[in-house]
Amino acid sequence: MALTSKEYYAEIEKVYKKPEDYELAGKGNGYVRVDAEAKVTGRALYTDDIDLPGMYYCKLVRSPYAHARILSIDCSEALALPGVKAVLTGKDFPEGHNLGNPEAFKELADKEPLCREKVRMVGDEVAAVCAISEELAEEASSLVKVEYEVLPAVIDPFEAMAQDAPAVHYPDTNNISMYTTMVAGEPDKAFAEADYTDKYYYKTQQMVHAAIEPHGATAKYENGEFTIWTTTQGAYVSRFWIAWGLGVPESAVRVIKPSLGGGFGGKLDAFAHELCPAKFAQITGHPVKCILKRDEVFLGTRTRHPIAFEIETAFTKEGKLLAKRCKHVLDGGAYGGSGIAANALSLICATFPYKVDNIDMTARRPYTNKPASGAMRGYSACQVHFAHDVHIDEVADALGIDPLELRRKNGITPYYTGPTGLQYTTCAFDETLAECANAVKWAARDELGEGEGIGLAGSGFMSGTGFPVLITPHYASSSTMVRLNREGYATVFTGANDIGQGSDTVMTMVVAEELGLRMDEVKCVQSDTTLTPWDAGSFGSRVTFLGGNAARRAVGDAKLKLLSHWADEWGCRPEDISMKDHRVFAGGDAEKNISFSEACFGYEEKNFGRCVSGVGSFAHEGDKDIYVKNRGNYAPAYSFSASAAKVKVDLETGEIDVQDFIFGHDCGRPLNIRAVEGQIEGSVLLGLGFTCFEECLYGEDGRHRNPTFRDYRFPTALDMPSIKSITCGQPDPEGPMGAKEAGEGSTAPVGPAIGIAINRATGLKFHSLPITSEKIWRALKEHEATGRVHFGDEGLAEKFAAVPQMRNVRHESTD
Amino acid sequence: MKRVIRFNLNGEDIEAYAPENMTILDFLRKEMHLTGTKRGCEEGECGACTIMLDGKPIAACLMLAVEADGHSVVTIEGIMRGGRLHPVQQEFIDKWALQCGFCTPGMILSAIALLEHNPQPSEYEIRDAIAGNLCRCTGYAKIVEAIASAAEVLRKGA
Ligand code: FES
Ligand code: FES
Repeated sequence: MALTSKEYYAEIEKVYKKPEDYELAGKGNGYVRVDAEAKVTGRALYTDDIDLPGMYYCKLVRSPYAHARILSIDCSEALALPGVKAVLTGKDFPEGHNLGNPEAFKELADKEPLCREKVRMVGDEVAAVCAISEELAEEASSLVKVEYEVLPAVIDPFEAMAQDAPAVHYPDTNNISMYTTMVAGEPDKAFAEADYTDKYYYKTQQMVHAAIEPHGATAKYENGEFTIWTTTQGAYVSRFWIAWGLGVPESAVRVIKPSLGGGFGGKLDAFAHELCPAKFAQITGHPVKCILKRDEVFLGTRTRHPIAFEIETAFTKEGKLLAKRCKHVLDGGAYGGSGIAANALSLICATFPYKVDNIDMTARRPYTNKPASGAMRGYSACQVHFAHDVHIDEVADALGIDPLELRRKNGITPYYTGPTGLQYTTCAFDETLAECANAVKWAARDELGEGEGIGLAGSGFMSGTGFPVLITPHYASSSTMVRLNREGYATVFTGANDIGQGSDTVMTMVVAEELGLRMDEVKCVQSDTTLTPWDAGSFGSRVTFLGGNAARRAVGDAKLKLLSHWADEWGCRPEDISMKDHRVFAGGDAEKNISFSEACFGYEEKNFGRCVSGVGSFAHEGDKDIYVKNRGNYAPAYSFSASAAKVKVDLETGEIDVQDFIFGHDCGRPLNIRAVEGQIEGSVLLGLGFTCFEECLYGEDGRHRNPTFRDYRFPTALDMPSIKSITCGQPDPEGPMGAKEAGEGSTAPVGPAIGIAINRATGLKFHSLPITSEKIWRALKEHEATGRVHFGDEGLAEKFAAVPQMRNVRHESTD
Repeated sequence: MKRVIRFNLNGEDIEAYAPENMTILDFLRKEMHLTGTKRGCEEGECGACTIMLDGKPIAACLMLAVEADGHSVVTIEGIMRGGRLHPVQQEFIDKWALQCGFCTPGMILSAIALLEHNPQPSEYEIRDAIAGNLCRCTGYAKIVEAIASAAEVLRKGA
């Protein structure tokens, strides 16, 4: 009988290094990032740095209207310009081959590579031109004449759901692209029996990823094969959609991810700027590059879903959370893509970090004529934890319970199973709260001065999401290959996509650790669909967890082969042999050892010259149905975090000074403390930007009013508080060397902590983001005049009351 | 129209033809193939294109190539000494002061420009000096730490 995966891996795990022998994992400054030198010298090659002989340039023609029918496109003037080589419009791509994100929901793919009949947002791509220089391509793009019939646009997500709203995509659907429900326990009964119930409204804004590197791609076509270097967070997923959009088999497309200048979820989807240069390369025989300008990144890529919340909770008077009802309305913008996961994620996130057994929750994602919303770091979690955790603070006040105590009383504990089947493993949520409270001097908060406030908040996140981005044997896997070289080094071929977070370093470290090699004795080959094995991409805080586990299994597989050979030679068991300092030691006999190279050489000699190699794969074991039913376990483990912010608000001007920021994170064993701190510090920047700075603004006509870094401000070095990171918890048995995620979950508690601190400092209750100095100033003035306390939830009760009951929904997921 | 320009680039006197309307950013990247200087916004807001002009950090996207005539320009490719990393580069590596690295060349040049005229900057002065260099990944903490420690290394070395 075939081995089960457990039995198979049990064999491999025997030769894994024991935690007490780790020399690299968890050892802080013991090594540096593998890409650091290339990056400090300017040698690292990003997509825009790839220059090929004879390169042409592509520029996209974008819609100036939020919603319009395309009547005609005339490219003749553009084509007549000397140096212009070709043009493309929607009909150059196979009809019906729309771009989306999860292959499993391919019927929901709704984005044409170039629009054929209709544009749905300002910036929608209608044509593309190819010329011998960037400047010429730009000029030619302005010569493409598109005739439009302007249609009424829907900008507000609630208005989009109205009966008479113009249809962004499909008529008679209330513009709802996705409707999701999650119900468990007996919420009605719990509400009826509760001592305390409430109903509050919150709202978050549209934010963008703003990776400093703009999106772009460079493509060539040779021997019937497209090669595309692109700013992607998932080379394999990009390849799938590029091939689909071009109407060619995946085997005809090679996607390579060069160094990536930040992703944050904004580089997961497939875009016209990838397909058009590919098509042009095929037509012209020249390599073609297309790099977006900053305003195009704002308009034509992805944003974070604005979410409006109605939250009702039921508590006992002692402060036990009994039940939660909520409605989430997510502004989906013009398209689905990676955005279709947002609903389910928003509901799942609302079930932690506090235990709640009885729930009744819905999420609606209407289309609007705005840039498409998609995945963004802390996907749905940042918005949900802002609303739901600020809410917890209001409950604490209402019940007269210390907010810290209320959180600790309800916080998730290790190995708890959630009401819809989330299975938690290790969980140090309570410790993160306690540590943050301690560091921020929670107990002494009564001694704060005027205008000062402390906010404490908690959150959780899935560690190693298994969302079915492409259909695979397991629905989202990471694969790795490792080769041991007799010249004294190893090569790891990882599908993991380093987007800046440092996954190449993690994979290198895992292999070096297991083989007793130095970091520079492991070469990392990464994210190239021709060279590296399958990986679903960098999202869902899955890379360290799934990719790290896959790398460990791959090196374990190789190690087991090597050590089994030497165990035979030496008459011992493979698990008695250890690898350290570039040498292989027979168990118990320090004298008996050979070099790594000799060990490989000896193996090859006995194995007809075949090198030592290993393959490994990791997938979250689960049932694909959970993405439709929202029932079951979403990830192999969960991280937990708490944050404490101390702010001082100038009560005259509204100016906000975040003086101190404490972050407690339970990421299992931090594989590298500098890297984990870096993730936390970056998270605080995103969280502070989300809470106090950033917002995309639109006119009535759907025109983006601030698509530049001048008008869309996010924190500079001068705006950032000092940050104290505290890692909590225990190594997780599921994680690679005990690690859990540290990239996305760490973004979620920042917003509520700062928001609550501002609420405490001002005595006001802000219910919407961003909370800017100007808003505080206005609110303080109004409070003085009218005594009003709650701000930012205006009109939401009425809007939620008018939300349509669901019918004719194109895609519904429910339990 | 192209014009002949003569300037010092990374320690070498060069003479080149530059289109009159081309930014020095595009000139460095496209004509000189020095791609370490990054294009982040091309509107003077992100600092990814920071170079040193006569020792001062400037946004290369806001300056025309022809304006470099008669000046000295230093890019990220021109700061190693005798094949060795500049202490600021070394500290960025050692302190994990980068993630995606896209802001890094500009950050390093702003830091070097600061340290050349202020060898002992306060934390505020460091933050102020890099306030024009946006970083979306790191939260700046480790960058500030790396620059402070490079200042120390440079002072000890001097
Ligand atoms: S590219 Fe010059 S400042 Fe952004
Ligand atoms: S390291 Fe990514 S922008 Fe600074």
